[in-house]
Amino acid sequence: MNLLVEAFGFGLVSMSVIAIAAVGFTMQFGITNNINLAYGEVMISSAYVAYYVNRAGISIWIGMVAGALFGAVFSFLLNRIVYSPFIRKGTSQIGMVIVSLAVSLMIANLLLPIVGYDYVSYQNSTGELIHIGSIILTTNQIGIMAVSVALMVLIHGLLKYTRLGKAMRATAANPTLARNCGIPTQRVIDAVWLITGALCGLAGVVAAMNSDSFAIVNGATFLITVLAAAVLGGAGQPYGAMIGAVLIGLITELSAAIWSPEYKEVVAFGVLVLVMVLRPQGLLARRGAMAAAG
Amino acid sequence: MNLYYGANLLIYAGVDIIACLALNLQFGVSGIVNFSFIVFQAVGAYTAAVLSMPNDKAFGYDFQLYVGGYQLPFPIPWIGGAVAGGLLAVPVGLVVLRKLRADYQAIALLVTSVIANTVITNARPFLNGAAGLALVPPPLADQIDPNTAPYQYFYVGLTILAVVLVLFVVNRVVNSPYGRSLRAMREREIAAMAIGKNPVRLKMTAFIVGGVIAGFSGALLVGFIQFWAPSVWLYPETIILFAAIIVGGRGNNVGAILGALLVPVGFEEVTRLLNNAPLGLPAGVVPALEWVAIGLLIMGFLWFRPDGVRPEPRRVFEGGPDIE
Repeated sequence: MNLLVEAFGFGLVSMSVIAIAAVGFTMQFGITNNINLAYGEVMISSAYVAYYVNRAGISIWIGMVAGALFGAVFSFLLNRIVYSPFIRKGTSQIGMVIVSLAVSLMIANLLLPIVGYDYVSYQNSTGELIHIGSIILTTNQIGIMAVSVALMVLIHGLLKYTRLGKAMRATAANPTLARNCGIPTQRVIDAVWLITGALCGLAGVVAAMNSDSFAIVNGATFLITVLAAAVLGGAGQPYGAMIGAVLIGLITELSAAIWSPEYKEVVAFGVLVLVMVLRPQGLLARRGAMAAAG
Repeated sequence: MNLYYGANLLIYAGVDIIACLALNLQFGVSGIVNFSFIVFQAVGAYTAAVLSMPNDKAFGYDFQLYVGGYQLPFPIPWIGGAVAGGLLAVPVGLVVLRKLRADYQAIALLVTSVIANTVITNARPFLNGAAGLALVPPPLADQIDPNTAPYQYFYVGLTILAVVLVLFVVNRVVNSPYGRSLRAMREREIAAMAIGKNPVRLKMTAFIVGGVIAGFSGALLVGFIQFWAPSVWLYPETIILFAAIIVGGRGNNVGAILGALLVPVGFEEVTRLLNNAPLGLPAGVVPALEWVAIGLLIMGFLWFRPDGVRPEPRRVFEGGPDIE
């Protein structure tokens, strides 16, 4: 029983990490209508940026900011240089999925000669142990959770109470109508790539912090967990992604405690399959996986 | 160029052509973005391997752990590989192809491919985990010694036969009224439904037939290389085949064959030349750059020539209205 309570504690950290990544992914998809399969690779690239900053003797919390900035700029450029021209050319949605998979492959393999195959880890003290009942967490883990909660509140505020957030929601609902109403959708989409890119980069750094060590191959495993959470919540739904992250975080950590940590992604995949069979539109979405493309 | 090298090249080309024909049936003709294609090739290879290998307690094989080991004579392992590919296509197809939107189908299949590889790698007693199966007996090894020149000719002949057989089958499918239904579904699913076509049934059939051919290609390959492990069927291998179809020309078998010869075979050769050339690059850089080149090739073709080197011929009926 104690084991499960401990796993619940890890689950809390895990869900905080997944929530940051999944909210970024789902907003990217919901507003720009583009499934960015390179998301996991952008996460891992940002984690490496933070790694080099950290290796220069700078605290990982500042490395996190560097990772977020890198993720924002990288994602913005990715859209401007690759995705957006292809969309303007009229490439089909399936064509875009293939393009983003090609991009993902290219990022991973361009990174490989630079950073190598080896697993690396950040240099930082894990902080003091804090006991809450029988849950034991480090101050670092509590820091990650605090960052995540703060970001979720910020995203909520952005979408609900700012003009930009309103414009984003309008663009997501109907881009043509939004443009006709005078919303500069192009600028909104640029902003979306910057914001979600920052979330992606930051998520990459916290995911790397949360696992003991990381390497390029983790890009694909990050992507699977993020996809599972986003699809579970209903793709394109930020609040759904938050709920999805909570469930996936808990389920994977509990299964790791009961069964084997090697199969974390497999369990996430199992949840993904169940959702696709039983409720393909996800928990929250009214129109999601089932709706016609476009 | 020696015989063994030539045989190797021809057999790989044959396997790639068969795989591309199958993927073209799914992706090019029917519009199913099967990002887990390589899993079907892998299941065929594993099945053929365990059907032809002796039990894992047998002398010389006891360093590996695997299920089965029936030592069945050729061609049963090959048939088994093809059947396994088709059987796997049934549950995967039922989950993925029934309700999901096309782009979701693609990511679901991609994730399936990554996870299948993880599971096989970690579950060692099943198919010997990451180390994979070695010493797979080549077909008819008891009749002809596999390490002789005649056997190379024999295997090349078998491969050519296999390519001809598969080409015959897919040509029949693609040019039949059934192939027309598949293309109609690819072009506009709702319109195809309106004239009474059942897209789920059409997709399932294309998925299963493609799975059978993919499994067969795996059996053919494993009989020759005598080895199969998770590292040879990572998900990027599927992307190479997609690159081949996109380069060759989606939706026609000539394009698929052309693509198979240009992309997988061409890249294999270029790597060999680069590895032999004294460039002084550190190990691992050439393969990494090759993947980058594959990505660029896909994007370049989708941008400049989305219909490929040999575009799908437009099918026009005599006496029909002029559309131009």
